[in-house]
Amino acid sequence: MLRKKRFLIGGMVIILAISYLGFVGFQSSVTYYYTVSELLAKGSSVYDQNVRLKGVVAPGSVEQESVGKVLKFTIVDGEESLPVIYQGVVPDTFKAGGEVVVEGQLDATGVFQAHKLMPKCPSRYVPQQQQ
Amino acid sequence: MADIGYIALFLALVASIYSAVAYILGGKRRIPQLVASARNSLLAVFGLISLSVILLVYALVTHNFQLEYVVSYTSRDMSLPYLLSALWAGNDGSLLFWGWLLSLFAAVVVLQKREFGQELVPYASAVMMITQAFFLLLLLSVSNPFQKIPFPPADGMGLNPMLENPGMILHPPALLAGYVGFTVPFAFAMAALLTRRLGDEWIIAIRRWTLLAWLFLGIGLIIGAWWAYVELGWGGYWAWDPVENAGLMPWLVATAFLHSVMMQRRRGMLKVWNMVLIILTFSLAIFGTFLTRSGILSSVHTFSESALGPFFLTFIGLSFFSALALLYLRWEDLKSEAELESFISRESTFLLNNLLLVGATFAVFLGTVFPVISEAVRGTEISVGPPFFNQVNGPIFLALILLAGVCALIGWRRASTRNLIRHFLWPLITALILGIALFVLGVRQWLALISFSICGFVLFTILYEWLRGTRARRRMRGENYFKAFWGLIITNRPRYGGYIVHIGVLLVAIGIIGSSLYDVEKEVTLQPGETMAIKDYTLTYEDLDFYETQSKVVVTATISAYNHGEPIGKLMPEKYFHRSYEQPVTEVAIRSTLCEDLYVILVGWDEDATATFKVLVNPLVIWIWIGGGVFVLGGLIAFWPERRASPILRQTKQGRG
Repeated sequence: MLRKKRFLIGGMVIILAISYLGFVGFQSSVTYYYTVSELLAKGSSVYDQNVRLKGVVAPGSVEQESVGKVLKFTIVDGEESLPVIYQGVVPDTFKAGGEVVVEGQLDATGVFQAHKLMPKCPSRYVPQQQQ
Repeated sequence: MADIGYIALFLALVASIYSAVAYILGGKRRIPQLVASARNSLLAVFGLISLSVILLVYALVTHNFQLEYVVSYTSRDMSLPYLLSALWAGNDGSLLFWGWLLSLFAAVVVLQKREFGQELVPYASAVMMITQAFFLLLLLSVSNPFQKIPFPPADGMGLNPMLENPGMILHPPALLAGYVGFTVPFAFAMAALLTRRLGDEWIIAIRRWTLLAWLFLGIGLIIGAWWAYVELGWGGYWAWDPVENAGLMPWLVATAFLHSVMMQRRRGMLKVWNMVLIILTFSLAIFGTFLTRSGILSSVHTFSESALGPFFLTFIGLSFFSALALLYLRWEDLKSEAELESFISRESTFLLNNLLLVGATFAVFLGTVFPVISEAVRGTEISVGPPFFNQVNGPIFLALILLAGVCALIGWRRASTRNLIRHFLWPLITALILGIALFVLGVRQWLALISFSICGFVLFTILYEWLRGTRARRRMRGENYFKAFWGLIITNRPRYGGYIVHIGVLLVAIGIIGSSLYDVEKEVTLQPGETMAIKDYTLTYEDLDFYETQSKVVVTATISAYNHGEPIGKLMPEKYFHRSYEQPVTEVAIRSTLCEDLYVILVGWDEDATATFKVLVNPLVIWIWIGGGVFVLGGLIAFWPERRASPILRQTKQGRG
């Protein structure tokens, strides 16, 4: 019986260790997921906080001086919209009018500074497709 | 034609329901004629689904654009292999393929000759046929691959060009075969519970089935990672995407199961736990099939919106809870036959291994479904990114690898300290030397030093174990080293196959550690003739070329690469613009060596041929693919039938392991 108890305690220690790892990892990587109107409703409380934002790339809003330079576009959902600035590799699947998820921060001037751009292309089952 | 396919599916549904009912009644009342008729209708299910698969493939190959499925996933300019692969490119087709695989596996199960466990087959077949009926129901209602369209177009929409990669031909079938394969062990476990035949029979009956499903799933995951690496052009191979996680979770639990059944076989322990593991594996496999199609999680993988969700959730819920209820009813029959005797024993390393694997699965599960949970509970969607998964799983996987080394050298029941020291001394010393050597060579990150030393330690324990076995055999039989080593592997395939799998996993781990701790990345914009440097490489951008083929326009950048000033050839990253498809496709240029990969992506360009590149140096990535190959080899060795006609039941057998 004593032995069983020792195994039980050992197991508990491991479970606690895993939970601790999970907790720490969670805190460092938690990202809120908002739609454009949800983000705007939060006001200044979300400035400079890392969030994910989903919406549609407004048709005709995509601006890029040349490939490899800064990408600017407007993200919309229903009536609300937000300007987005992104620097980096633009995935092949990115297009105006398509659904998109961006990750980054909303700055005080009301521009969303994205460091990650994840377009989705609906109605198509594609087993492997990332970033 | 299409009508025949649909009717065949309908008849298959009727036959599978009849088969399940007849099996249960025939098994319960012991009516051999009824069982025989159930068996015949199970084989008929296989025949009928095969017919509809053949008809769908025929429609794909002959461009029968009356069918919505053919229009959506093929076009006239596709080559034959990709036309065939269109069978699993879409939701409906891949579900049909799922159902066909299950009927195939069920047919093999009933046709297999077996010396014992025969009493389990009727019930196991009934469980498989119930699952079969569920999938047929989906195919007949919400996910009909034979759906017609009123006005057939002249040409189809074609396959997404991104899918035109050998990965498309291998990755989905391997993954699906893995998912489907877990139905067999689950069915036998349920049969054992239903018949109260809870001895070793069911464990022996499913050993190779579990191994096969696990192997397929593993192959599917590795090929998926390779495909993502060479095709998607973001420089990585694993993104902790929900769909990737969906494949990883059943694989992890099945790994735990493969280890813990050994405890039951040898010591009669962990009987309840094994049941729980196989129930979990099956549920997670179905969950994985569901997750790939439901669209409930924001994955960057794209899904077709479909009405499958409620069906799947109902099925998963029903099978999961009824299996658990059955397990609860049989609790008394599943008493352990032995107790753990010591902390320092192979048993406790297996226990720990199980705890860690299930813990890792749980963490992955939580991370994957967290957005849905938080949405339901707090109304805001919260996602956890790759750092969460890496931070939780990194230490767990490292501990698992360490265990693989300890386990190989530690005895069952109770190991004496003297034995431990004797067995561990050399591997430990060698690992220490390896660590010091790496430090001298300039590896300074403590995480890398620890991880590589652990991998070295495990590798040495396995090699040391082989050396001891070979030596003993050589002494006893007077064979030469090579023959003795060969004989060692051949006479105990499960054990040595297992060791080879461990080596494969080690190599994969080395690749992952190297590429995630030491990757370097640069983004540059160059004019023709300009040069950039990354690590020991210098890259000179030569020029930009445009050319046209029948189906696409290709943009190619030519780069001359030098390593330490020595020319190592030209790299040509490309971008394709398909005529029939809106989005461009990036073709990365990769130069692989055993040490590191040079990975170049053409990001964009201007009219004056100024081009932007993303260049990565990923160390040791190739070892992930090599490790994958070793993993498959080891798995096949373990899977290969043993020369001995049948394994002996535990009661009569002596130590072997």
